[in-house]
Amino acid sequence: MRRALVLAAAAALGAPAAALASVQQVLLPGPTPYPTPSPPLVTVAAPPTATLPFRIHASSDQHVVAGVDPDGRVVSLRALHRLLLSGTGDYLIVVSAPVLDVSPGPGSESQPGLRRGQILWAGFSSKKKLLSADATLRPGPAAPFLPMRLEAHLDGDRYTLTVTNATLTSELSFAGAASPAELARLLDLTRRDSLSGGKLTSAYVSIDGLVTARGERAQIAAPLRVEGKLRFPSAPTSVSGGTVHGRTVTFSLLLGDGRPLSRRVEVRGVRTEPLLHVEARPTVLVRSLVPPGARRWSDAVRRRPLSAAALLKRLLDARMQLVRSDQYQSFLSNPDSTGRNRTVYVYETAVPSVRRTVAGPGQGSGGSGGPLVALLALGGSVLGLGAALVAWANN
Amino acid sequence: MRRLAIFLAGLALLAAGCGKSSGSENVGELVIAVDVPVTGSPYVAQTIRQGVELAASNLNGGGGVRVGNKSYRLKVKLYDNHLSARRAVQDTRRALDAGAAAIVTDGTGVDATWELARRDGVSVDIAYDGGTGLVDAETRPNVFRIAPTNHGIAFRYAEYLVPKKVKVGLLSDDSAYGREGAADVGRAFSENPEAVALKLTLPAGQTDVTPQILRARRSGATALLVWGQAPTIAAVLSAARSIGWQVPVYAPPTGVDPFIRQQLADHPEWVDGLTFASGRMTAEVGTGPFTSFESQYESAYGADLVGVKTAAGEPVVQPPEFAMYSYDFVHVLVAAVTRATSVDPEKVTEALNQVTTQGANGDERGFNQHSHEGVVDDDVYFARFHDMTFQPVRDDPLSATLPPIQQTRGG
Repeated sequence: MRRALVLAAAAALGAPAAALASVQQVLLPGPTPYPTPSPPLVTVAAPPTATLPFRIHASSDQHVVAGVDPDGRVVSLRALHRLLLSGTGDYLIVVSAPVLDVSPGPGSESQPGLRRGQILWAGFSSKKKLLSADATLRPGPAAPFLPMRLEAHLDGDRYTLTVTNATLTSELSFAGAASPAELARLLDLTRRDSLSGGKLTSAYVSIDGLVTARGERAQIAAPLRVEGKLRFPSAPTSVSGGTVHGRTVTFSLLLGDGRPLSRRVEVRGVRTEPLLHVEARPTVLVRSLVPPGARRWSDAVRRRPLSAAALLKRLLDARMQLVRSDQYQSFLSNPDSTGRNRTVYVYETAVPSVRRTVAGPGQGSGGSGGPLVALLALGGSVLGLGAALVAWANN
Repeated sequence: MRRLAIFLAGLALLAAGCGKSSGSENVGELVIAVDVPVTGSPYVAQTIRQGVELAASNLNGGGGVRVGNKSYRLKVKLYDNHLSARRAVQDTRRALDAGAAAIVTDGTGVDATWELARRDGVSVDIAYDGGTGLVDAETRPNVFRIAPTNHGIAFRYAEYLVPKKVKVGLLSDDSAYGREGAADVGRAFSENPEAVALKLTLPAGQTDVTPQILRARRSGATALLVWGQAPTIAAVLSAARSIGWQVPVYAPPTGVDPFIRQQLADHPEWVDGLTFASGRMTAEVGTGPFTSFESQYESAYGADLVGVKTAAGEPVVQPPEFAMYSYDFVHVLVAAVTRATSVDPEKVTEALNQVTTQGANGDERGFNQHSHEGVVDDDVYFARFHDMTFQPVRDDPLSATLPPIQQTRGG
């Protein structure tokens, strides 16, 4: 009898414990860590100890200008990095970047310092201070961390520009049994964070039982809002993927958030590459977080049953995309890890496109400069051959 | 037994010989030349020299500077430039002949000496003179400065005084220091001409400037900003107070020179209210680092007594502000040697652009490719005298954050 009582007591104590032990609080992605080390850009140079006391906060606005050649390859890179400090105290800020040169940007209240791989700021902030740096970056190491890739082709009278979201990465994710009601609440929270444009709020999800790795790695990309303008010397005849306004073609795209990551603008009736100006902004998730048939996810799950596994996958993917979007809001680092960041990426034609004019109807394939170019090439070859002969004779 | 003794003696000699040989191969000297006006401005000369010597002594005490498998002991060589550019050129030549890795100077003659030093790749560090144009990272890549700049002080004064709605009389003496400062002050106030009552040049070294001060009063000036040597500031205070004009007087870093207090020791109330601008001695981290440096300095050299007392009869001491700058430069230089992994002056000078160290007051000290100024303009603070000692003012955001420094040592 005594043994039975002991067993019964143990069972009574153990039952809720076992039930609790099977439920785990699992941290959801966001606001950090970021899935890749860059952006923000980093360099191998050892930074001095940077100081930004807790009394000082910093928000950053960045304007990154990538100069592209006629094929869409990045050939130059410049960043206007504006840090707005608020608070009173000393600061020493080290912005790590493959920087070639730096000068004060418009309105800067201090002078940026330059070291190998570093932009330096040091001084005293009295309530507010604007630090603005106009930095020329080495495109080689920095361009791979731009969020968008352009590929342009001029073929006959057809010009195509392919715009690709280059933020795609794969991430490990997890699966498990969670309550649809809780997942709906978390989706609503995530949606609110997303629509506010701020950083994600940290959140946990309760998983009942085992937490397992999802079978396939999640494919995550930051949603990009892209606005472009192509200015041709003469009016195109037609365009797909954009709108013609006289000699200008404009387009507006969303890459990601449930839309394709790559889009093409095709312009017909042109003979020359355009002057290109394309702006990309990491943006919020809208489509992926719209609740089906209701104003809120919490209402949607009450109206009809939704798969908990699908809700969890949607929640995790959405949060990872928002983290990725937040990562690209800071091409150059902000010393305040909680500070607000905004970056606009501008792609512009680096050199006016005049060299690749294609032949018009009735002309040779060499274009108008063909004979002259051929003559110069021939002359160059003869001179080169002569120099080689002289060198050989002297040896 | 005798054979064993001879064997052991031989072994000992061999061991000693080996040790000496190995030691001499692995220990070198890193010469730092200090070229200061020992006979022209002894206070400035002494404080700069002692700052360098203290840093060298500390570093040597820790084994010197290690470069690869060799240690270098810092050796300080003192030269007296007599406040003369010609003498500074001679000193620089001698210092270069002596193999100096760097030259620390008050700033005398740098316009003439920097090119000489550059030919040998040697860096020149200015630890006192804030003259604009002395330092330019592009055109004078081997010249560095750890001291507040005239430019920074002038602009901080404009920032400080213009909102007070005072009419400033801009006075300067005709020394090189005064002329350079006047130019910077003129630029700083150029956007607020309404704040300037008059600009006046005073003869340096003249002890009675009463006519000029009367003129300044007639111009409607309600404040005087006097950019000049310490005797000029003392003369202005003396003249203004003698005629009963209690106009607030503002000064550059020369305002803290002990000479002024010594000169006006009979009228300590004339010094009261004198405000000067300089580089802050304490950082945001508090007084700890500076106090620690100051006590090291005083242990080595004793306190720099000003030669006056407070009303309570306590002797007043001068905090080692400019010693701190020369001390910091030696540490930055050593960081550059370590970074360059070489004592080749050219490589060390190049590496000076890439290093930061913590200064004696807790502030970061370093240079970069665009700026060879080790004291940023934001670090300029204002302090006001009362009872022969000074305290940071409370009506300037930076100064208000700074704690006062103890300047008496008991009677």
